[in-house]
Amino acid sequence: MNLTVDSQKTVDHYLNALRKELRELLEDDVRDIVEEIHAHILDKAGADPSPEALAETLAALGPPEKLALRYRTEELLRRARRGRSVGRILRDSLRWVVLGLSGLIVFLISAAGYGIGGFLVWLGSMKALHPHRTSVDLQFSSTMWTASFQSGGPPRGHDPFGLWLAPIGILGGALILYLTFRFGSWGVRKFWNPRPRATLVPADE
Amino acid sequence: MPDSAEKWEVQLRKGSLELAILAALWQGPLYGLEILRTLESGSEIVVVEGTVYPLLTRLRSLGLVESEWVESDSGHPRKYYRLTESGRQRAIAMAQIWSRFSASMAHLLEPLTAPGANLESKVSAVRRGKS
Repeated sequence: MNLTVDSQKTVDHYLNALRKELRELLEDDVRDIVEEIHAHILDKAGADPSPEALAETLAALGPPEKLALRYRTEELLRRARRGRSVGRILRDSLRWVVLGLSGLIVFLISAAGYGIGGFLVWLGSMKALHPHRTSVDLQFSSTMWTASFQSGGPPRGHDPFGLWLAPIGILGGALILYLTFRFGSWGVRKFWNPRPRATLVPADE
Repeated sequence: MPDSAEKWEVQLRKGSLELAILAALWQGPLYGLEILRTLESGSEIVVVEGTVYPLLTRLRSLGLVESEWVESDSGHPRKYYRLTESGRQRAIAMAQIWSRFSASMAHLLEPLTAPGANLESKVSAVRRGKS
């Protein structure tokens, strides 16, 4: 294939933009994708392509940003199938927030779940390690009830859990962490539609 | 055609693309542009090119296809895709589901699509009734 200097610049510009948008993916995957799209451009535009033919080829592929987004979405789904970690679920959900309300809801619930679960595990551990310096102080009244946590000194108020705070905190927190983990994994699988938006169109369109 | 019907058609075609690609690869390995041309020549549809390559990536990650770079006479290597055994089984299963579904839908839609149904006049009558 013999590309003019201008045509070569056009192709390089497109591929560089695609490579830049794919930077979140593994380097080997990015190289593979860019090489395949490059091969497609060379095949589709043909030998000695006119600027119009080249422009038509690139237009058919779509803007590099959109093309990269489709690849990134597929990659995120692949990670979802492969397995989830706490950090990955939160990170992917955060990216997902921009894609829709369901992503925002899953992100907020996951963040709250991990926060509460982590806090309970820490609280239970503190109670186990420092039983006389860790307590939960519950205060009830006719109109409201409050709960406060005190660490670093002897309990001041009503501590209904006593030493049970250690197993309750650790086990309860672990259960919340596990359920949040399962919820996050389920949410990604259930609501995240990774399929490209535009696919087949009738030939006469 | 109303917008909602067009959207439905897009969704229908979107859901068919995975099966269409698996079917295109049934006869043997193809590279990207060959897959696109097979889909276009084998049906009345053309494919938005930017959607096929990411979808091929997904099919590969699912283990339904495998790929290999092959040197070509054109001066640059091409990435060929072929069905795996799992991909062939999936293609058969999807084709069977498609056949059953389309047959039952064809039976259901027979009153609408029969030669004497004169669908155009019925649609016009419905539209006149709405306006």
